Amino acid sequence: MKEKEETTYEVPIGPIHPALKEPFLIKFKLDGEEIVDAEARPGMNHRGIEFMGMHRNPMKVIPLSERICGICSIVHQHMFTTATEHALGIEPTNRARYIRTIMCELERIHSHILWAGVAAHEIGFDTHLHFTWKIREKVMDLLEYIAGNRVNYSMWTFGGVRRDITSDMYPKVFETLKYYEDLYEKLEDIFLDDPSIKMRTQDVGVLTKEDALALCGVGPTVRASGVKKDVRIDQPYAAYGDLDLDYVIPSRYGFENKGDVFSKTLVRLKELLQSIEIIKTCVEQMPEGEMTSEPKKAALFNKLEKRSGEGIGRIEAPRGEAIHYVRLVEGRSDIDCWKIRASTYNNLATYRPMFMGEQIADIPIIAACIDPCIGCMDRAEIIDVDSGEVETYTKEELHELSVKKTERIKNRGIK
Amino acid sequence: MKSGSSLSIDELENHFKKRLGDDVEDIKKEKIREGLKEKAIEIMWLTVKRERFRDAVNALAELHTPHLSVTSGSDMGEHIELIYHFQVNYGHPGKEVSVNLKVHLPKKDPTIPTITDIVPGALTTEREKQEFLGVQVKNIPDSRRLWLADEFPEDKYPWRWDETGMEDMSRYVHDEEDETFDKPIAKYPRKKEVEEKGKRKKSMEEKKKKKEDGDQI
Repeated sequence: MKEKEETTYEVPIGPIHPALKEPFLIKFKLDGEEIVDAEARPGMNHRGIEFMGMHRNPMKVIPLSERICGICSIVHQHMFTTATEHALGIEPTNRARYIRTIMCELERIHSHILWAGVAAHEIGFDTHLHFTWKIREKVMDLLEYIAGNRVNYSMWTFGGVRRDITSDMYPKVFETLKYYEDLYEKLEDIFLDDPSIKMRTQDVGVLTKEDALALCGVGPTVRASGVKKDVRIDQPYAAYGDLDLDYVIPSRYGFENKGDVFSKTLVRLKELLQSIEIIKTCVEQMPEGEMTSEPKKAALFNKLEKRSGEGIGRIEAPRGEAIHYVRLVEGRSDIDCWKIRASTYNNLATYRPMFMGEQIADIPIIAACIDPCIGCMDRAEIIDVDSGEVETYTKEELHELSVKKTERIKNRGIK
Repeated sequence: MKSGSSLSIDELENHFKKRLGDDVEDIKKEKIREGLKEKAIEIMWLTVKRERFRDAVNALAELHTPHLSVTSGSDMGEHIELIYHFQVNYGHPGKEVSVNLKVHLPKKDPTIPTITDIVPGALTTEREKQEFLGVQVKNIPDSRRLWLADEFPEDKYPWRWDETGMEDMSRYVHDEEDETFDKPIAKYPRKKEVEEKGKRKKSMEEKKKKKEDGDQI
């Protein structure tokens, strides 16, 4: 009889799906249905953006930085601009800080709702996907109304912002916030009270507090495990210092800090409410003043070329803490050093403890629960270690497995 | 540090000085005021000798589980500079301090000990430094490539400015049959660019002078 170890399978999932911006590969070792090891291999489509940035001047890097990610383009724009401002000693105006905060939070609303739809889709609730993506349009409309674009807003500049939020825009902002406030109860009802969703998400993909801390995880992924890490509160940037915020962790709402997919959903939904409150306060408190402290382009270019310095820009992106490091050297118009670190970079390491001991059918929802800039369950190869045979799972087949599991759970519930 | 309390930026400085003595240099403390209430973002930069680098990380680990945001690195000509961006005091509203730990590695011997036994989350960033800067991380548990393609040349490092660097990274990320792949690469023109700039500046100044002289006449 064969030993148990000899029958493990290796399942690579990824790396390419044309619809996704970040191709990605996860290799799984399976013992029957159970995952015994998981390993992430990113870099399938490494674009060399840092390299490109180091061969351009800072002004040209602003539009480049917002193209790092389609969902959190504000995040990277903000970090790059603040890091450069820090390096060169440029101070943005207070009005710009408030506008930046409002935009960041609007992006968080759209990112979290988008995630909720993806997560529901992964476990076979496509009606929820269509519902959440439909309601997401409202905030996209508002972003377009303010910035002129649905994505890649081009709002940031050194010393401030390029577009103002004037008082005649406030009614539209409040109307959108009211829309989400009214819908919030329904969202909570769908995602937190539905018995079959609960069965698919509770105790699945658990990340313990110890692992979350040791692996330097960030954002809702670790807050669901009860770790208090949130840059907006820890080291308030922009206008967050003027607000009264508290960490969104499950125990604050009477739940256990379990760190499973359910807790992560809860944290993200509660953050929606927090974002709505932040935007409201910011619009009400917004100080009068200039949009930017550097309105003269020539003077700004002069500063960018003549000054040296290094700086860091940190932000709490929808997916967690992210950081940029920028160094500029006098006499060199291009950036000397630029390091980008997005949230998923740190959360990659948390995959392993979350996948351990779970089933194949749970792969899609766990892979989605850190809200990675992926989701490319494009194809999966199952390699039989003994015979070397290769079977291929398509994204659809893997998705079907996940949907079937939900159906099984539902049917069991009816009996 | 007792759990539930946090260290101020000055206390942190003393903590490092106590643990590392003279081996910690160039301590720079910054405060950036943000918002109407002008709450400060506190940032600390310090350089530590390579031999004492692990002691410095251990000094941080004494406080609480360290949060390593990322390691950035760059080619400074004579040496490679790595900056470990740590965050201290997370979980204490408004008290978090960014501690940026710099280490200089000579180019002849670009090695650094791993810190994955102290900070397990550092593995991703250590692997990245190996492939992008040519830094050797001693005792790293997993030294395989992470971000770059498998066919990317072994002796080329995208973030270097010397002959091991590259002019155009995209040349190397396509398949080997690509015609441009084997073409010799021109040395990175950084030095030239700076020189040219200096020349341009000089000629501008000369012109200005001439003009001024002309005006006087």
